[in-house]
Amino acid sequence: MTDPQDLKQRLKELLITGLRLQEVAPAGIADDQPIFVEGLGLDSIDALELVVLIEEHFGIAIPDEEVGKKAFASINALAEFIAAEQSRGA
Amino acid sequence: MGAPAADRTARPVFAADALAGRRALVTGGTRGIGRAIALALARAGAVVTVTWATREQDAEDAAKALAACGEGHGVRRCDVRDRQAVTTLFGEMKEAGGIDVLINNAAITRDAHLMLLADDAWDDVLAANLTGPFLCTRAALRGMIAKRWGRIVNVISPAALAGKAGAANYAASKGGLLSMTRSLAREVARFGITVNAVCPGLVETPMFDGLPAHVREAMLAQVPLERTAHPEEIADAVLFLSSGASSYITGAMLAVDGGLVMA
Repeated sequence: MTDPQDLKQRLKELLITGLRLQEVAPAGIADDQPIFVEGLGLDSIDALELVVLIEEHFGIAIPDEEVGKKAFASINALAEFIAAEQSRGA
Repeated sequence: MGAPAADRTARPVFAADALAGRRALVTGGTRGIGRAIALALARAGAVVTVTWATREQDAEDAAKALAACGEGHGVRRCDVRDRQAVTTLFGEMKEAGGIDVLINNAAITRDAHLMLLADDAWDDVLAANLTGPFLCTRAALRGMIAKRWGRIVNVISPAALAGKAGAANYAASKGGLLSMTRSLAREVARFGITVNAVCPGLVETPMFDGLPAHVREAMLAQVPLERTAHPEEIADAVLFLSSGASSYITGAMLAVDGGLVMA
């Protein structure tokens, strides 16, 4: 089981490198802030790339918009989603 | 972040290596326009997989023609109306290295005047010609986004633009495919994926040959170039839109119709 804090840190780093957020540091992303539309300057199209990144890095599919919306609500929500999917697959 | 810069390394489009290192999938690729597209992509250096649904002999012939272009090409049975078959095909394609170029070419007709158009003739044509490309495109996009490069070419029809009496189902499916082309082009441009439509006019294919002679003649009279197209002439346009040479073209419709529509 991944430590939740480690997972969140990893997700922030993935967000920054994967979506090329050169001017953002991991500490600059709050756990509870929305990932898309507000804050980071990312839009719903960027979310498509995050879907691909999550699938590649964690082997977890985000099959549709409904699942994506919930999972990408915040770093907290995404970490919970991944942990839940990992424990379901374990 | 922004979309990738113009591909200044684009090689001449008809060179033997214009698509070297690319993997392509052509649906309905064993006869007519699809077969010509598959062979053109293969000759340009792509590794090509073609799908077929109903004619095994055509599949065998296409496999031989592709083998003559080089190694690695494949012919796969996959009816794009069958969601499970599409999922299976793309799973296997992913294992084999993914798809860089997707040509949504497979299409059917089941003509009737709309008042007499049966439910299943409507559903079947929409399933093959519009839902099929949707399923294939959705399945192809993740890999293209990961690579930040992709080419999607949808084969449409003058019926999409001008309508066609006796083929409202076919026209609606192709019009829908054109709209899907433009919408998707907006969605995925920033990932270096272009999405375009090619609109063939009258082409020497089994589909055109199947029309009554007087219908064919009346249609030909509308073509400024006064002849039908060879399937290879359509394939050249698709090859261009599949290559790096078309890197600044997306959401476009390229008519290859001898001047038929001019829309």
